[in-house]
Amino acid sequence: MSPLSCFEGIMLEVKNLTKVYPDGTKALKNVSFTVEDGEFLVIIGLSGSGKSTLLRCINRLIDPTEGKIILDGQDITAADNRELRLIRRKIGMIFQHFNLVDRSSVLTNVLSGRLGYLNPWRSVLHKFPGSTRKEAIQALRKVGIEDQAHKRADELSGGQRQRVGIARALMQEPAMILADEPVASLDPVLAHTILGYLEKMNRESGISVLCSLHYLDLVQRYASKVIGLKDGVIVYRGTREDIRSMTDQQFKEIYGEEAERVSAGTLSSAENSRGEAAP
Amino acid sequence: MNQRVYKEAKNSLVSAPVAALLSLLVPGLGQIMARRIQRGLLLAGSMISLIGLTIWRIRIIGRLEEGFRDILVKALSRNPLFVGFSLLALLGIWIWIIVDAARQTDKKKQYGNAIFALILLVFFAVGWQISQIDLVRLTRDANEAWTPLSKILWPWDAAVTRETESLEASAKLLVDSEGEIPPIPEKRPGEPYILVEPRSGKLSSLDENNKVIPGTELSIKGENFEPDTHTGIWWSDAVGNEFQPRQEGRYLSVTTDDTGSFELKMIMPYRLVPPSARGPQYHEVIARQVSEVGPLLPSDPLLLTIELIIETIFMGMMATIFGIILSVPVSFLAARNLMSGSWVTMAIYYFTRTILNIVRAIEPLIWALIAVVWVGLGPFAGIVALTIHSVAALGKLYSESIESINPGPIEAIQATGATKLQTIMFAVVPQMIPPFVSFTIYRWDINVRMSTVIGMVGGGGIGFLLVQYIRLLEYRSAGIAVWFIALTVAILDYVSAEIRNRFV
Repeated sequence: MSPLSCFEGIMLEVKNLTKVYPDGTKALKNVSFTVEDGEFLVIIGLSGSGKSTLLRCINRLIDPTEGKIILDGQDITAADNRELRLIRRKIGMIFQHFNLVDRSSVLTNVLSGRLGYLNPWRSVLHKFPGSTRKEAIQALRKVGIEDQAHKRADELSGGQRQRVGIARALMQEPAMILADEPVASLDPVLAHTILGYLEKMNRESGISVLCSLHYLDLVQRYASKVIGLKDGVIVYRGTREDIRSMTDQQFKEIYGEEAERVSAGTLSSAENSRGEAAP
Repeated sequence: MNQRVYKEAKNSLVSAPVAALLSLLVPGLGQIMARRIQRGLLLAGSMISLIGLTIWRIRIIGRLEEGFRDILVKALSRNPLFVGFSLLALLGIWIWIIVDAARQTDKKKQYGNAIFALILLVFFAVGWQISQIDLVRLTRDANEAWTPLSKILWPWDAAVTRETESLEASAKLLVDSEGEIPPIPEKRPGEPYILVEPRSGKLSSLDENNKVIPGTELSIKGENFEPDTHTGIWWSDAVGNEFQPRQEGRYLSVTTDDTGSFELKMIMPYRLVPPSARGPQYHEVIARQVSEVGPLLPSDPLLLTIELIIETIFMGMMATIFGIILSVPVSFLAARNLMSGSWVTMAIYYFTRTILNIVRAIEPLIWALIAVVWVGLGPFAGIVALTIHSVAALGKLYSESIESINPGPIEAIQATGATKLQTIMFAVVPQMIPPFVSFTIYRWDINVRMSTVIGMVGGGGIGFLLVQYIRLLEYRSAGIAVWFIALTVAILDYVSAEIRNRFV
C-alpha cells in the first residue's frame, strides 16, 4: 500500500479508543484500527468482549471515554449535537434484534431511516415527501419485500424483519454500515441471505461494512479483513488470505472454546441457532 | 436437613420438669428456655392476647354485674357456648403448652404444631363473638328483606306515571273554639258532596304523659262520587295545610258503593294549632277520588335517574380527562429509566413515587369527603376527588409502561441521525400507545363506577339520589337507580373491553 492510497482510502480510523462504564467496567482498552473504503471488516469475539460497545462508540450511541474516531476526515468524538446527527446520517446501523418499531408499518420503519435528512417539524407528524416514499419502496424492493410494505413490522418473520432493518439503513444513503451481530438471531440459511445483501451493498455501492459475527465460515466467506477482540483488547488482525487459511483450532484460540461453524456444525447446533431466531 | 442440624446445635438450657414448671408460671417461658425462642414467643403472645380478649368479651357479656364471680355467672348463663368453650379451650391450651415445654427440651421430640391449630380455633371463636355473627337472624329475617328487595329487583311500576284527575268535596268544621258553626254545604246536582256531623268538635290531644286523648267522633256521608272507587279522606287545618289522617296506623279511606255514596266514621285527628291562626278555627274534611287519565309518562324518579346517570358518566369522563392531562407529566417524573441520570433526578423520582403511592392508597370516597369541604357539595367535588385518585393511579401505570418500553428502537432511530423529538415520535410514542389506551380506558371504567357511589358522600352523581331513596324507604325509585347503575357499568365494561381489544 502506498502512503497516498492509505491516506485517501480510509473511511474510518479508530485511535486508542477506551471505554470505561460508570460501574468501572473497562469494555474497550486502547483499541486502534482502520476501515478502508469499500472494506468488509469483521469483528470477532465472545459476547462481552466489547464488540457492541465498539460499534456503538463509532456513531456515539455510547460516548467513548478516551480516544479518537475519525470518519471521512471528521472527528466524531469532537462533534457537537448537530454535527453528530449529520455524521450519524452517513452511518447506517443494523442490529441483532432488528430494533424495529413493532407497532409501526414496515414502510414507516423504512422511512424513519430518512429522518436525519428531513425537516424535523414536518416529519414529526409522519409527513414524508412522495419522492421519499418511492425511495422507501425501492429500498424494500432491493431486499425483496416490497409486498410487505403496509404490514405491521411485528407481523414479519425474523429474516424479513432484518431485511427491513437493512432497508432502513439504505434509506440513510450511508457511506458505511455498522452491523451488530446481524445474523445471530437468524438461522444459517437466512444468515447467508442477510449477509449476501450486505455484501452486495458493499460491492455494488462501495459502502464500507463493519460487522461483528460469530461463525467462522461466515467470517471466511464474507470478510475482507478481520480483527479479533478479547476483553476489550484487539488480539488478532488478519487479511482475507489469513482468514481463508485459518483452521478451527486457530479460530478457537482467538475466540474461546465456544466458537463453532454453522455449516460444519452438527444438526443440533443449527437447531440451536434456529431456536434463537425467535425474537 | 439443614434445619435439623441447626436444631441439634442448640441444647436446652433446662431440664424437662423445669421447662414445664416455667411454662406453668408464664406460658411459653419453658420453650424459650429450651432455646425454642420463636415458638415460645409465639405461644406466649397468643396466650396473652387470647386471655385478654376472652376476659374483655366475658366482661361485655356479663355487664352490669359487679365482681368476678357474678360477671362470670351471668356471662355463662347468657352465652354458655362461647364462654364455656373459650374458657375450656384456654385451659387446654395452657396445659398443652406446659406439656409442650417439657417435650421441647428433648431434641428428638421437637415437633407437633397441632397446638397452633387449637389457638387459631379460639381466635376464630373470639372473632365470631366480636363481629356479632348471627346465623339465626340471617335466616329468620330473610323474609323481611324480601319486600324491599323485590321492589329493587323489579322497580318498573314506579318508572311510569299518568296524569291524575281528582274528584273531591269538602266540608267545614269549627274546631276547639267558640264561634259560628259553619253551614251545611249546598248540594248541587251532578257534583260530589259530603256531609259531616257534628259540624264542630275537639281535635285529639295529648296529656302530660303523651297519651292520646281522642277527639270528637265524626260521621261522614258522601254522595255523587264515582261508584266503586277508592276514596281518600284528607284533613286541611286552619291555615290550609293538607294531610292524610291515619286511624289505627292506616290512611283513612273508603270505597264508594255502586251509587257513588259512602259512609264513614272518624275521630278528629291530633293537630297542633298553628300560632298564626286567630279567631274561630275552621278546619276542613276533604273526600277525594284520584283517577289516572291520559297516556303513560315517565315518572319523576325515572327522569331524575336518567339526568343523574348522565351526570355520573360525564363526571367519570371529566375526571379521566383531567387525570390524563395531569398524570402524563407526572408519569415522566416517576419513570426510573428516565430519571436515573443524577441524584437530583433520582430524588425527584423517589419523591414523586412516594406521593403517588400515598395519594393512591387513600380511597376516592375519602378524597370526596375532603373535596366536599373544599369546593362544596355537587358533582365538581366528585370530579376533584376522582381526578386526584386518577392522577395517582394513572401516573403509576403510565410510568411503569414508560419503564418497560424497548430501548432497541430508540437506539435505532437515534442512529439514523434523528433529533430528540423525532426519536420520541417514532420510537417512544408508538410503543406507548397500547398501554396508554388500555390504562386510560380502564381508568375511565373505574371512574364511572366510582362516581356512582361517590354521591353517597355528597360528590354528585347518582349515588346521592340512591342514598336518598333508600333512606326514604322508596325502594322502587332506588331500584330504578340501581338498574341504571348496573346497566351503565355493564355497557361500559363491554365497550372498554372492545376498545382495548381493538387497540392492543
